[in-house]
Amino acid sequence: MNQRAILLEARAISKRFGGVVALKNIDLTQHRGETLGMIGPNGSGKTTFVNVISGHTRPNSGSVAFDGTALAGSSPFQIAKAGLTRTYQAVRVFGELTVRENVATALVDARDPAPPETVAEIADWLRIAHRFDSRAGGLTLMEQRQLELLMRLVQRPKLMMLDEPVGGLSSAEVRTMIALLSELKARCTIFVIEHTMKVIRELADKVVVLMAGEKLAEGPPADILADQRVIDRYLGSVDA
Amino acid sequence: MKQDTTPAKPSGGAIPLAIFAVAAFALPVVLSGNRYFAFIAGVTLIHVLWACGMNLLYGYGGLMPLMFAGLAGISAYTVVDLTAAGWSFWLALPVGALFASVAGTVLGLPSLRLKGFYFTLCSLVIQTVITLAFVYFAGLTNGDTGISQIPLPSAGGGQPLSALSYDLVLSAAAVLGVVVLVLIVRSALGRRLIAIREDDELAGMLGINVTGTKLIAFFIGSLFAGIGGALYAPYIGFISPRSFDVLISMNIWLMVAFGGRGTIWGPVIGALLLAPLSFLLQEYYTVKDVLYGLLIIAVIVLMPAGIAGGFGRTPRLPAPDLGVSPQRGSSK
Repeated sequence: MNQRAILLEARAISKRFGGVVALKNIDLTQHRGETLGMIGPNGSGKTTFVNVISGHTRPNSGSVAFDGTALAGSSPFQIAKAGLTRTYQAVRVFGELTVRENVATALVDARDPAPPETVAEIADWLRIAHRFDSRAGGLTLMEQRQLELLMRLVQRPKLMMLDEPVGGLSSAEVRTMIALLSELKARCTIFVIEHTMKVIRELADKVVVLMAGEKLAEGPPADILADQRVIDRYLGSVDA
Repeated sequence: MKQDTTPAKPSGGAIPLAIFAVAAFALPVVLSGNRYFAFIAGVTLIHVLWACGMNLLYGYGGLMPLMFAGLAGISAYTVVDLTAAGWSFWLALPVGALFASVAGTVLGLPSLRLKGFYFTLCSLVIQTVITLAFVYFAGLTNGDTGISQIPLPSAGGGQPLSALSYDLVLSAAAVLGVVVLVLIVRSALGRRLIAIREDDELAGMLGINVTGTKLIAFFIGSLFAGIGGALYAPYIGFISPRSFDVLISMNIWLMVAFGGRGTIWGPVIGALLLAPLSFLLQEYYTVKDVLYGLLIIAVIVLMPAGIAGGFGRTPRLPAPDLGVSPQRGSSK
């Protein structure tokens, strides 16, 4: 696999909601195998950016290419079938169905559905196999996040966009999730939005900082976390 | 890609299906001595077919189309007019049913934008418009007066079918309706519909074509309505706009909800219990609607999952074992 091939390329993405500019001319490139972290204060446009890429929100201008194909005007299901999947900030599973049914549903229209042995292997790795016959709505938040990952992975996506994967988890669970996510890198390329610096520091190869819809900085985590502008305008105000 | 290994407990297994099929075909024969009871059984079997179609849309897809009876009416009027124009009933039936399907698919389009209750409200308006159209286009429907003395269809020779043979046709339609529903529910379409019912945005994110799936569901569900409507008209011998008004839609919905939406047998049981009820209550027609109203409230408040669902949550599709054996101890 060519590690340097460009997987995701966003050009001049802009999005306005009425008079509010949510995204202003965002350019972003992610290579295959490269973990990209996106940080920024609340309302800086991170989730809007993911919504634009995954087809949930139409941008006012700009273009997105995924794995060499333009995504303009595609529906979320077409984008998912192209191998680009995402999770939601608030965990989202089919709560009334069992874990097994959730996974079966994910397999129905998967780009490349995993065979049963692989499903079992991923479920074991995520430590969720023992909950397969439980109702998904009755799982703990951590287990629901594990199920979310399982439902995405059985589709064997090329890129997984995670919207705050450790949101709401306890500190012990955050450590477990970070460990899982660092192993996840071997399975697919990851794009991660996070508030928790620890996640970004340990996972990301490259960090993009959004501020009021604009790209403030971009670079390796060590440089970004030392960048005076980022410290002044974001880190300094949040991480006391 | 092989995914569907043998399901653990199929919804609508072979044994209940066989029992139902035998009962459905035996009923008209057993009741053939008493035309009135045989007639009630026949009407009930048409309602079983309708309930299956409503169940596909409402029980599995989470869409509540209150224009269901109107679609049946579109088919019924089409078939009656075509046979009056000299068509064979057996040729007119698929044409009429197809009309209902196309109409249902088009009229289902608002469901792509309107969710849950809002679509139901919209479908209520659509049903009202269809009823008004039945009154207005009197050239095709004979307006409020309705069309009476609709003959039973003929067999190949030209001789009209006997009442018993037509009863058996109704049995076949009801059994076929259940079989088709079982097949759909066990297919990928069934799983897509349930996913859309539970969370359509998440379904889309998992690669499911929500728009396409809803339209297919409307097409098939309306086909059930249309076939039922086409069979209904010659059986009763009389149709009018009131035969296919909103109360009929509500009755069919009630059969599904009361019996247990999203299960194969719940709505069948609902139809078997509620369809004959209106005949038993014929002398008390003033309280009939009150009784139905109370039943609707009781179902919504007390037993949203219906008889088959007990008082619990919505039942589901059997899932493949996916390489993870059931009830496994904690791993690691």
